Amino acid sequence: MQASAAASRAIGQVEDDRALTAVFTAYVTTATIWLVIATAVGLLLAFKFGAPDFWAAKYLTFGRLRPIHTNATFYGWASIGLVGVAYYIAARSCGTRLYSTRLAWLGLALFNLAAIAGTIALDLGCNDGDLEYREWPWPIRLIFLAALLVTGWNLIGTVLRRSSEDIYLSNWYTIAGVLWTCVIATVGVLPWYQHGLGQVAISGFYMHNAVGMWFTPLALGTFYYAIPKILSRPIYSYALGVFAFWTNLLFYPLLGAHHFLFSPLPWWLQTTAIVFSVAMLVPVWGGSANYLLTMRGRYRDMIHSYPLMFIFVGVIGYLFGSTQGTVEAFRSMQAIWHFTNFTVGHSHLTMYGFVTFALWGGIYALLPLATGKTAGRIGLAAHFWMALVGSFIYVISLSIGGTVQGLDWLHGLPFIQSVVDMQPYYVWRGVGGMLMFGSHLVFAWNVWRMTSGQPGNAASPVLDADATGEVAA
Amino acid sequence: MHHMTGPLWGNIAIIGIAGAITIGCFVAMFWMIFRPGEKDPRHCKNDILRPDR
Repeated sequence: MQASAAASRAIGQVEDDRALTAVFTAYVTTATIWLVIATAVGLLLAFKFGAPDFWAAKYLTFGRLRPIHTNATFYGWASIGLVGVAYYIAARSCGTRLYSTRLAWLGLALFNLAAIAGTIALDLGCNDGDLEYREWPWPIRLIFLAALLVTGWNLIGTVLRRSSEDIYLSNWYTIAGVLWTCVIATVGVLPWYQHGLGQVAISGFYMHNAVGMWFTPLALGTFYYAIPKILSRPIYSYALGVFAFWTNLLFYPLLGAHHFLFSPLPWWLQTTAIVFSVAMLVPVWGGSANYLLTMRGRYRDMIHSYPLMFIFVGVIGYLFGSTQGTVEAFRSMQAIWHFTNFTVGHSHLTMYGFVTFALWGGIYALLPLATGKTAGRIGLAAHFWMALVGSFIYVISLSIGGTVQGLDWLHGLPFIQSVVDMQPYYVWRGVGGMLMFGSHLVFAWNVWRMTSGQPGNAASPVLDADATGEVAA
Repeated sequence: MHHMTGPLWGNIAIIGIAGAITIGCFVAMFWMIFRPGEKDPRHCKNDILRPDR
C-alpha cells in the first residue's frame, strides 16, 4: 500500500517536472524569437544613421522602428525570458511544482499577444506618442499588465507551496519585481498623468523603473540562484542580499527624475533623484560584491563554464552600468551627455551588458537542468565572444561619440557639425551591432539544441564542488 | 548655478538628510561585506544546494 502511494507520488513528480520544463522551454523559446526580431530591427536602425534613405518606406521609418526595437526587447525578449527563469527558480528553490501550469501558459499567451499587437500597432503608426517605453497604445499595455498579474499570482502561489520555512532570496527579488511592475504599469496608464508636467514626471518614473524595478530585480534574482547552483556553493552573504533588496526599494523609485534635470519638474524632485542616484551605489556595490565574493577562488572555473562567464559579465555589467548611471545623474555631467548617444550606450551597457547577459547565464545554467540537454561548446563560445566583443565595440563607440556630440553642443557648434563628428562612431555602432545580432542567431541555435534538437557536447552547467577541495558550506 | 536647480539651502537640506541615510547604508553594507557571518550549515541559504527534487 505504502509502496504504491510512493510510486504514485513519484509519477506525479515526474509529471510536474515535465510540465515545468515545458513552461520554461516555451518561455525561453518565444523570448528568443523576440530577441532575434527586436535586434534585427535594431541592426537596421543602426545602419539608418549612415544611410537614412535605405528602406525608407513609411513602415520602415526610424520613428516607427525605434520603439519597435525597444519595446520588443523589453517586453518580448527580456520580460518573457526572465519570467520563464523566475518560474523555474520559484518551483525548484521551493522544492515544489508550479502553483498553476495553466496560469503560466495564460501568462505566456498574454505577454506574446501584447508584444505582437504592440509591434503591429507601432508599425502602423498607432502609438501613444513620446512616452518612452510606453509607446504601445494603452489598451495593449493593459494586456501586458494582465500578464504581470497572472505571473505574480502564480509565483506567489508557488512560493506558498514551499516545504521550507524561509522564502529563498531569489524569490524575494522576482516576486517583488513583478508586483512593483504591476504598480508601475498601472500608474503608466492612469489618464490624469498623461498630459503636461505630470506626464513628464510619470515618464521618468515609468521609463527608469521599468529597468530598475522590473528587469533588475529579476536579473538579480537569477544571479542569487544560478551562481550558487553552478558553483555548488551558497551565496557569500544572504543578509547583504536582503539589505540590497530593501535599499533598492528605498532609493530606486524616484530616480527617474534625473532624466529631466534643468526641466520644469520641481527642483526638490530633481535634487532627490540625484542624491538617491548616489545612494544606489549601496545596493549596486553591495550586490556586486556579494556575487563576486561568492565566486572568489573559483574564477579559473570560468574556463570550463560558459554559463558562469555569461553571469560574470552580467555582474560586471551591473556594477559598471549602474555606477555609470550614478555619474550621469550629476547636473554637470547631464549638461554634456543628455540627449546624446552616450545615453544609448549606457542603456545598452545595462540592458545588454547586465540584463541580457544575466538572462543568458540563467538560461544556460538552468535550462539544461530542466531538459537534460546542453548546447554545444562551439555554439556557447561563439555566442559569448561575439556578444561580448560586439557589445564592447557598441558601448565604447557610442560613449566616445556621445561625449564628442555633447561637447560640440556645449561649445555652440552648428548641429550638423555634431552629426559629421558622429559619423565614424555610427559605423562602429553598426559593426558592433552586427556581431551582437550574429550572436543572437547562435543563441537561437543553442536554445534549439537545449530543447528540441540534438543535444550538444558542453558539460553540465553544475560544476563539481570538489574540484577545488570545497564542499557547500 | 543654473536657475532651475532650486534654492541653495533647500538643496543642502535634501543632500544632508538623504546623504546621512546613504552614509549609514554604506556603513551597513561594508559591515556585511567584511563580517558576513552565516557559518551555520543549517542557514537557509544552503537549502537550494540540495538536489532539486
